Amino acid sequence: MINTRYATLVALGLIMDAGQVLAAGDAKRGADVFAEECGDCHSAVPGKNKKGPTLTGINGRKAGSVADFAGYSDAIKQSGITWAPDKIDPYIAAPRKIVPGGKMKYDGLADATARADVIAYLLSLK
Amino acid sequence: MISNMEPVAGSFVRWLSTATTLLTGTLLAAALSTPAQAVPSYARQTGSECAACHVGSFGPQLTPYGIRFKVGGYTDTDGKGDKVPLSAMAVANWTRTAKDLPEAPAHFNTNNNTAMQEISLFLAGRLTDNIGTFVQGTYSGVDRISSLDQMDVRFASTLNLGEQEGVVGLSLNNNPTLTDPFNTLATWRFPYTASDFGFGTGAAPLVENLGGSVVGLNAYTLWEKSFYAELGVYRSLSGSTVNKINTSQVATATIDPGKFSGVGTYWRLAYFKDMKRDNFNIGVFGFNAGVENADQPGGTDRYQDIGIDASYQFLGNREHIFTINTSYVWERQNLHYTHNTLDASEHSTDTLNTFRLAASYNYQQSWGLTAGLFNTRGSSDSGLYGEVSYNSRPDTSGYILQADWTPWGKEDSWGAPWANIRLGLQYTGYNRFNGGSHYIDDVNNTDRKASDNNTTMLFVWLAI
Repeated sequence: MINTRYATLVALGLIMDAGQVLAAGDAKRGADVFAEECGDCHSAVPGKNKKGPTLTGINGRKAGSVADFAGYSDAIKQSGITWAPDKIDPYIAAPRKIVPGGKMKYDGLADATARADVIAYLLSLK
Repeated sequence: MISNMEPVAGSFVRWLSTATTLLTGTLLAAALSTPAQAVPSYARQTGSECAACHVGSFGPQLTPYGIRFKVGGYTDTDGKGDKVPLSAMAVANWTRTAKDLPEAPAHFNTNNNTAMQEISLFLAGRLTDNIGTFVQGTYSGVDRISSLDQMDVRFASTLNLGEQEGVVGLSLNNNPTLTDPFNTLATWRFPYTASDFGFGTGAAPLVENLGGSVVGLNAYTLWEKSFYAELGVYRSLSGSTVNKINTSQVATATIDPGKFSGVGTYWRLAYFKDMKRDNFNIGVFGFNAGVENADQPGGTDRYQDIGIDASYQFLGNREHIFTINTSYVWERQNLHYTHNTLDASEHSTDTLNTFRLAASYNYQQSWGLTAGLFNTRGSSDSGLYGEVSYNSRPDTSGYILQADWTPWGKEDSWGAPWANIRLGLQYTGYNRFNGGSHYIDDVNNTDRKASDNNTTMLFVWLAI
């Protein structure tokens, strides 16, 4: 019942964090956010790794688990995170706060709406 | 690589040989050429497309990602093992000038020349976790010579001080502005390629004329991703060394090669802010060196260059990209040796000021339009410029317009990351040349209009 409700909210582009609705994500706007904020280091192409691993299929994936990406830090591999909207959101807001010692040299995206948009985009990647 | 056009070269050679102030013929080569660089080996190393590092999907104009890659010592990787750090590049062009050249270059005609202008091989990429290279060897199809074109071997490491973090590094290089990560200084500013059959953009300060004839060691940092500082010391290479790496050009272009009296010093400070959607930098830089006659040491001319520069890029989602880059350099020339000993300059102190501005628009990282302005002003000096200028000034100004198409270089492009190509049309128009709208063609001893030098170039630029 809870899972069904959560899946519905995600399908509507709503990002949940500890029971709080953060924002309505727009995958189309999220594609632009991805290009501006993420695309230099991450690819949306399945199996395509750059400085960072591909983000296609990230939802439900264990952190540090893309098999053919060798650039992970020990910190991300040992973080115990399984990526889902409520995990991605705080991570891309402040990566080093969530995973101290991680390699991702990204200061974070302060705009909650932009985060929701890019997460909606990531969830749309097949 | 190297131009041998008389209107520019003649005045410069005269300046060089009579004043014996600048270092060698290599300086002349550097002053007249616009080195081109494009290195897909970096794309293969990082897994990133050309467009990640370069505006318009083709070198050399760097994005913030490219800036960080360079500052990081060319060592970023996708982690998929070591890659062969080799690339190759070729630039072919067709050039037409409004009026025939004063004389035909060797092997070519007085107009409508087609040439394989340069073929380059790069050692460009990561050697260890902390050491990377950008080394370019070039064969000039115009001058029919090979040379060590550019060399930048870097060590870089991350340094943490408390809560702050920065990249610190060392660069062993052969050109002061080669090391700069922004798109405003001599080596890296627009135009990114220019015809060897063209007339250049006028006299240039010493800091822009040193490529290949010096070796320098620079320490640099990009602190907290924003504060860039660099300090370098340069020594001039011996004439025999220059001859070895640049073949016969030095021997034919200079009579009395100069050398630094002691070392030349280069410094650079800049503030850089990357907001992802857009970014900017603003900076200052300088170069200071004494130059003496290599064959008759003792007397010295001293050059003091100080410059300011700024740039802005709007990248957005990369669909529509706008950039603007500008710089202004003041040069104070203390020509005591040239004036007092050689009696080859009218004054013992001259100035040379250069302004550059370029704005570009790029659509879908493929279609580019760029407009540039150049303006050089200097002291009236009959000894230095009198034979080619009616008012004895080096003043040269004009504009450069370029349209180009870069079909590859994106993530989903054909051949990525193995090949890239740019096709372009470039037009250079002159308002003033050697002091005014008319100047003295010293080859034929006739009047020539500045606009006679207007140059149209079609080019194909291929990198693998």
